[in-house]
Parts: sequence; C-alpha cells; structure tokens
Amino acid sequence: MARTVAMFTDISLCIGCRACQVACKQWNQLEPEEPEWTGTYQNHAHFTDKTYRLVRFFEEPADDKVGMRWHMMSDVCKHCAQAGCLEACPTGAIYRTEYGTVNINQDICNGCRYCVSACPFGVVSFNHDTGTATKCTFCNDRLHNGLGPACAKACPTESIRFGFRDELEAKARKRLEDLKTMGYKDAQLYGADQGGPLGGLNAFFLLLGKPAKYGLPEQPKLPQRNVVLDSLFSIGAAVAVGLGALLAFRGRGDDGDGGR
Amino acid sequence: MEPGLLKSSDWPLLIDLYFFLGGVAGGAFVIATIANLVDGRRYQDIVRIGYYVAFLALLPCPLLLIVDLGYPSRFLHMLMVSKPSTAIGMDAMTVGPFHLKVFSPMSAGAWALLAFGLCTFLCALDVFLTDRGGRGVTGLRTVAGLIGGVFGFFIAAYPGVLLGASARPLFVNAHWLGAIFLAVGAATGGAAIALILALLRGAGAREGLARVMRVTSMALVLELIALVLFVVSVKMAGSAGISAALGQLLAGAYSVPFWLGAVFIGVVVPLVLQRGAARAGAPGMAALVSVLVLVGGFLVKYVLIAAGQAS
Repeated sequence: MARTVAMFTDISLCIGCRACQVACKQWNQLEPEEPEWTGTYQNHAHFTDKTYRLVRFFEEPADDKVGMRWHMMSDVCKHCAQAGCLEACPTGAIYRTEYGTVNINQDICNGCRYCVSACPFGVVSFNHDTGTATKCTFCNDRLHNGLGPACAKACPTESIRFGFRDELEAKARKRLEDLKTMGYKDAQLYGADQGGPLGGLNAFFLLLGKPAKYGLPEQPKLPQRNVVLDSLFSIGAAVAVGLGALLAFRGRGDDGDGGR
Repeated sequence: MEPGLLKSSDWPLLIDLYFFLGGVAGGAFVIATIANLVDGRRYQDIVRIGYYVAFLALLPCPLLLIVDLGYPSRFLHMLMVSKPSTAIGMDAMTVGPFHLKVFSPMSAGAWALLAFGLCTFLCALDVFLTDRGGRGVTGLRTVAGLIGGVFGFFIAAYPGVLLGASARPLFVNAHWLGAIFLAVGAATGGAAIALILALLRGAGAREGLARVMRVTSMALVLELIALVLFVVSVKMAGSAGISAALGQLLAGAYSVPFWLGAVFIGVVVPLVLQRGAARAGAPGMAALVSVLVLVGGFLVKYVLIAAGQAS
C-alpha cells in the first residue's frame, strides 16, 4: 500500500473563484448542468452526479454589524478512513485505493443507491444516465500518474492543498496555530485528527467557526455502527415470536373447539 | 449536518412492496415451521398454507429488487464479481468470485434471500408432493423448515436493520427498526395464513385459526412495543434535524397514515377485535382482522420508509 494521500482545504484562503469546481468538471469530463438559484453565488445547492467539487457560500453579518461577509468553502468527498458508503456497498464496487482514498468502480456498481443514503455528508450521487453511483474519485487517474487532484492543482490561493496525509496534517496544525495568533479564535480543523470521528477524513478542512456553520455534522457517525445493536434487538424479537408461537401451538385447544 | 444536505436513496414503492412481501414470506414460513415441529399432522392445514404463502410471497421479490436497480443486468454483483477486491469493507469475505459483507445488511440480505428462497422452494415442493398423494422426501420438510426458519426471521428483520444503517436523520440513531420489521413480518405472515385458512376451511378450522390468530396478536403487541422503543430511541438522540424528522412522522406530513393506518387500523383494531375472534375462532372475524393486519403491516413499513427518506 502506498502512503496515504490527503487534501487539505483551508477555507481562510478561499476566494470563491470556483477554479477547483471548473477544473474538476474539465478533468473528469462532467457535463454542464442548468444553474440553479440558491440564494447565493453557490451553484449547485448540493453535490450532484456531475458536480464533485462544490464551492459553498455562506453569508453572515460582518464584525462591524453593518455589512455582510462571505465564508467560502470548497467542499468535496471526505474520503473517510471509515466510510459509510464503502461499508454499505453490497457489490464491492466501492473500494479503498492503495492511496487510502475511496473510489467507486463504475464497472461493478449496479445502482442500488444504498451508498447514497449511507454517506454522512450527502456526497454520493446517483447518475440516472449511467445507472450508477458517482462521486469524487480523488482524481484516481492523476494519482496513478504522479499528479495531485485537478482541484488542488487549479486552486490559485493554495486553499486546496494536496500531499501525503501525515505531512499535510502537520502543515494544517501549523496553519491553525498561525491563524489563532492572528486572532481567529474560532478557527478549527475538521477531520484532520485520525483518532476523531470516522477515523479521520482524508479530505480535511480548516474552518473559521463551528462545523454546523458550514453544514457539516459535529460528530459524523459511521451508520454501520448501528448494525450490531439493531441485529441483537431483532434477534430478541425473533426469540419472543418463536417462543410465543411455540406456546400458542403447544397449549391445549381451549380457545377453539378443536381440542375438546 | 443540515438534514437537507444529506441525500436519500429515493427507493420507490417497489422496495416497500418487497419489504412487505419478504416479511409476509418470512413470518408465514416461521409459523408453518413451528406448527410443523409441534404437531405436523394436527396443524397440517397451517403448515401447508404457511409454506405455500411463503413460496408465493417470495416469488416476485427478486424481480422487484432487480427492476429497481439502476443497472439491472448487474444484479449478480450483489453476490459475485469476476475479481472481488479485498479492500471493500472492514468485514469483507471473499471466496473465489463470491463476496459477503457482514456489516452491509444489503449484502447479507442478498445471500439470505438466496438461501431462504431455496428453503421456501423445497418446503413448498414437499407440501406439493404430499398433496398429490406422494410421501414427500423424508426429513426434507424438517431440515429445510428449520434452516429456512432462521433465514425467514432474517428476511423479515433485515430491511429494518438496513434502514437503520443509513445516515438519514430519522434512522441514524434508531435501534428498533429491525425488531419492528420482524414483528410486522410475523403478524402479516400469520394474518396471511389465517385469511386463507378462514376462506378455504371456514368453520372447520376453528382451532387452527384461534392459534394462528394468537401468534398474530402476540406479534402485534411486540410491534407496538418496538414502535414505542423506536420513538424513544430517536427522541433521545435529540438533535434539531432528528427531532424535526420524528415530528414529521408523529405530528406532520406522515402522522395520518402512521397513527390512523399503521397503529389504529393495523394494530389496535385487530387486537380489540381478535379477543372475540380468538374465543370463537369465527372465520369471518378472523378474515376481517387478517385483512386489517395486512393493510396495517404494509402501511407501517411504507410510512417509516417514506418519513425516513423525506427526513
């Protein structure tokens, strides 16, 4: 297995130019889509089967309480170390690459769509044209040729950075410290910690506020964590039904007239 | 996360129908097996009807699932691919071209459906041969019945566990969906047997009817308990998005089919009516109650899935 790679998206550097979004579309040959009005410059509202990188725009009152300020965050598949989509996939189409990223083999996916609802971030999308599930591939083809993902390559402010996970995490921590000393008290890393939720995210973020502000779950949960307990409760119910039925059929026939 | 940013699988009514029929098949099969174990001769009508119901209810299921796939010709990928990767999950097991992922309820369910389908076929075949005056295959009904009984429970319950292992706000912290689905499967399976028994045998089947109806009532009580525990477990999770999702089910867009359809018509009315019917074993009443249980059983699954997908 090659060394795990990662993307680090530092939203304090994002200028909302969407070069990443365009580069992603170009490299992955994703068709154009009708724009939609989302209330901001953001297009589209969500990840789609043709939008793997999505610059989210958030508006909030500025510090002076007079104007407004933007938060721009280039969002992408998190390539979770414990990935809900991957664990849900019944065909094995979703797999962990040798780089530690999560990819969907389009030749195997049969379009059951279970991964779509299993993603804690709403990333995976169903493509009605191909009948398969799609999402960011971490530019798997580029990785194999020694290149980083197209979005990171295109980013003019180095808001999106690509590298080996351990090195990138160290850079992210340094950047966080710098921002804190510059007065950004609420700055925090999201998904950088490999001991954190989902075993860490291989696409992690530096946020300037709480995750909820950016539409991210505070404590994302691997849905498959439910399976053991749910199964135990189901087995309990099965034992109850089984015993009850056994008693119902064993007892003397005093409820009807057949036993007399 | 903002619940609106999460995505739904958008499974259509076909899948609800599969979950319902799978539950009926699983429940009817288990009841037939237990009746057969206790006294196969005395309960031969229940056993015969139960195994036939299980077979017939399961027959359209694979088709429903395959038609819903985005790429139907790849349905076999649920079980096998030419070269399965080992990096497909924390628990992935592969043997040759076959693969099984224990923590993916859909993967486990695909295998269980295959095994259960085989057992329902064998039991229905044995019943058929016996009905035609043959002796049947010695021990086949017992062995296939026992193995199939385990898979029958599985087929009834796993859709609930499958829904629970998703990120939908209504389901992500819910733990009782599998138990609800199992209880509904047993209730609807019993109701299907009772309905056919009442229609075919009428007053001649009083004792059998009374006993099957007792199993059905018990399953309904279990369903009610599991539903309460489900609501409590979701409520305890407590985030805004999850509470809103629960509100949609209990007091919002889905409250009428939930309370009136699933709970009142599907559980409360049958339980009240059945007390009388159980004493009398009256075929007319048993048939009516069975129809209500079947309708309610479909509705409870439908409304849980709809509310979950919309949450």
